[in-house]
Amino acid sequence: MKKVVLYLNQFFGQIGGETEADYPPSISEGPVGPGLAIQTKLKDAQITHTIICGDNFMNTHTEEAIEKIAGLLEGIEMDLFLAGPAFMAGRYGVNCGVICKYVRETRHIPVITCMYEENPGVDMYKKDMYILKGGDSARTMRKDAAKMTELANKLLAGEELRGADAEGYFGRGILKQVFYEEKKPSARRAVEMLVKKLAGEPYQTELKIEQGERVPITPAITDMSKIKFALVTSGGIVPVENPDRIPSASATAWGKYDISSKDLFVGGKFKTVHAGYDPSYADANPNVVVPVDVVHDMVSQGKIGSLYPYLFSTTGNHTNGKEAVRMAREMAEQLLEAKVGAVLYTST
Amino acid sequence: MKLEIGNFNVKDIQFGPQTTFVDGILTVNKEEAISLLNPEKKLKNIDFKIVRPGENVRLLPVKDIVEPRFRPDGRSIFPGYIGLSEPCGDGMVYAMKGMAILTVGKYGGWMDGMVDMSGPASELTYVSKLKHLVIVAEDAHPFDSEFEKRVNDSAFRLATHLLAAYVGKTLKGQTPESVETYELEETAADLPKVAYVLHLMTNQGRDGYNHLLYGRDMMLMNPTLVHPNEILDGALVGDLLSCGSAKLITYDMQNNPVIKNLYQEHGKTIQFVGVILATQEANVDDKNMDANRVVQIAKLCKLDGAIVNIKGSGNVNVDFFNSICKLEDAGIKTVGLAPVNPGRDGMSQPMSVMDPKGDALVIGGSSTQIIELPAMETVIGDLESLVRDHYPGAWAIDPEHGPSLREDGSIIVDTHIIFEQDGCAGWSDKTVVEF
Repeated sequence: MKKVVLYLNQFFGQIGGETEADYPPSISEGPVGPGLAIQTKLKDAQITHTIICGDNFMNTHTEEAIEKIAGLLEGIEMDLFLAGPAFMAGRYGVNCGVICKYVRETRHIPVITCMYEENPGVDMYKKDMYILKGGDSARTMRKDAAKMTELANKLLAGEELRGADAEGYFGRGILKQVFYEEKKPSARRAVEMLVKKLAGEPYQTELKIEQGERVPITPAITDMSKIKFALVTSGGIVPVENPDRIPSASATAWGKYDISSKDLFVGGKFKTVHAGYDPSYADANPNVVVPVDVVHDMVSQGKIGSLYPYLFSTTGNHTNGKEAVRMAREMAEQLLEAKVGAVLYTST
Repeated sequence: MKLEIGNFNVKDIQFGPQTTFVDGILTVNKEEAISLLNPEKKLKNIDFKIVRPGENVRLLPVKDIVEPRFRPDGRSIFPGYIGLSEPCGDGMVYAMKGMAILTVGKYGGWMDGMVDMSGPASELTYVSKLKHLVIVAEDAHPFDSEFEKRVNDSAFRLATHLLAAYVGKTLKGQTPESVETYELEETAADLPKVAYVLHLMTNQGRDGYNHLLYGRDMMLMNPTLVHPNEILDGALVGDLLSCGSAKLITYDMQNNPVIKNLYQEHGKTIQFVGVILATQEANVDDKNMDANRVVQIAKLCKLDGAIVNIKGSGNVNVDFFNSICKLEDAGIKTVGLAPVNPGRDGMSQPMSVMDPKGDALVIGGSSTQIIELPAMETVIGDLESLVRDHYPGAWAIDPEHGPSLREDGSIIVDTHIIFEQDGCAGWSDKTVVEF
């Protein structure tokens, strides 16, 4: 028998209304309120405990509330954690998110809550947990509780989910490959979609694209002669023995290489491992990807203050955006520490 | 222009003293075939294997796949490439169905992939569902650079096509089991006019890597208009670039699912006008010029709609969205067909460039899905290539997953490596869903 713990606010926990909103966390055995409906449909699982906490208490004394709840949960085993449903109740929704996130991060078990799409808890926590799409008031209690039970049963049974829309929760921003319904080939889907689009009929794109964020361009540097200048590349330029084993694609690591002299940076000493372009030119002369020679010359001519003596290098080929941001942060930290004033970033 | 494809179902493949096709059984004389497929002597240690769906076999690095064919009137099945440059797309061509010629090498490069004939990876590509006459070979001479060794597959490509023609000749004088007919007949004038904007690999600035049109490397080509039958009939030969998952090889041209589906709707819901061969370029200015050419051709054809594919991923996302956006700006409705790379956790931006004007996209799959696969009893090719040669989808070290190849022969890779898994050609029965 799997064990489930439920979180409710003071109202659904049957402590009282708004006057009891400062009610501190308590725990009782078995299901309470909505938990009774959930319990009847749970398969091979039982709600062993219910945590109840006033909305104001959680909202205004969040750390204390979490600490108290942590204490109450000490020694209690659980396989899954439920909170709500919270409908359109703003404080309650956010509180469900707070406690679910805490439980997920400390217990590493699945957590489920449920609320209305306009509840502020949705945008704050949808990437962290399953938030089922619920109704806007307690009138949909029965439906919402049923949704929570259904997803709980699937997760407890280790069943494979079919995706956010199909399961009725808000997307967590995780794209996964799945087989299409009835394994319909993509060419067929494309032709059917085009016929609908041409006829002005509704169709559903398989990838929604929203207007992306643009990084603002920084103002130009007016005087380069006092600037410490650095070179960074995603063109995969590494010493020929590739000491950091930078991969040819999907990089998760970057390297730091000595370029303090022009003579170090020549074909035969450096090469590219990038698998997205013809490397023969860069292998013969790595300066075509990272202009170390030109920058050294400009330093001796006094046009550039100085050259930071290390090249930071990785492969941009198929590199995951999140990894790229992490690597860029790591690089930026070292560049800032070295008081670098400008970076020339070259790709391929 | 009417093309008829006469189909012969291949029930099994075997080796024997004479190369024949009798009662659905293809028998191949190994020695004779080997002597014909290596005219430039760029390959060595050539051997053949036979593999069938469901067998406990892993093939890697896989280089190319071609369907064996024969043209009763004597024209070449790949005009301009292996044979004289003659028009194609009309008349009768015979095709061996249910099988292909598949080539496996020793060194893996960025264009190579892997095929499992059973197990979870065999669910991800149509290639696992075909019987294969497999060429196993190595480069004969050390190439002039590490680059050449890693990526120059042109000798493998030639061998695959020559063997397809050699095997196809056994169909001479036989009667096909079924005949498919492709002809763009006149339709009701009010049906919307539609074309297939087929992006090809053209951005490698030297010979031997890009798609071939009538045998000619497409590297400096401008977008052009062709009849869909030319593509079904060997005018286009597959490229030797971009990862295994995002291929657009000769087999995909011979059996192109987008063309076949557009034909199905021709005269019913659309008028299928033709195929615009679109290029993918290295420089921004060239990328813009090419998309402008695509739009000009589309306007001349008075198109109402287009299906736009991508070939590969990365910088070619620019070419893909350029075509989509400029066509939409010209009032031509588009549907895009592409794979995505949302990263191992599925949370990264799925394409390197994206534009909301691409409001109708069909996604063939994710190339960055991690998969663990069991060891196979038989490996054809070189399993070590997984950790030695770094082709997309495999790695020598990884802080989280360790090396792609484990001591017990099981592997951990990402879907980049599964040959034809995304289906830039339109085969894919997969999509991506937000979780």
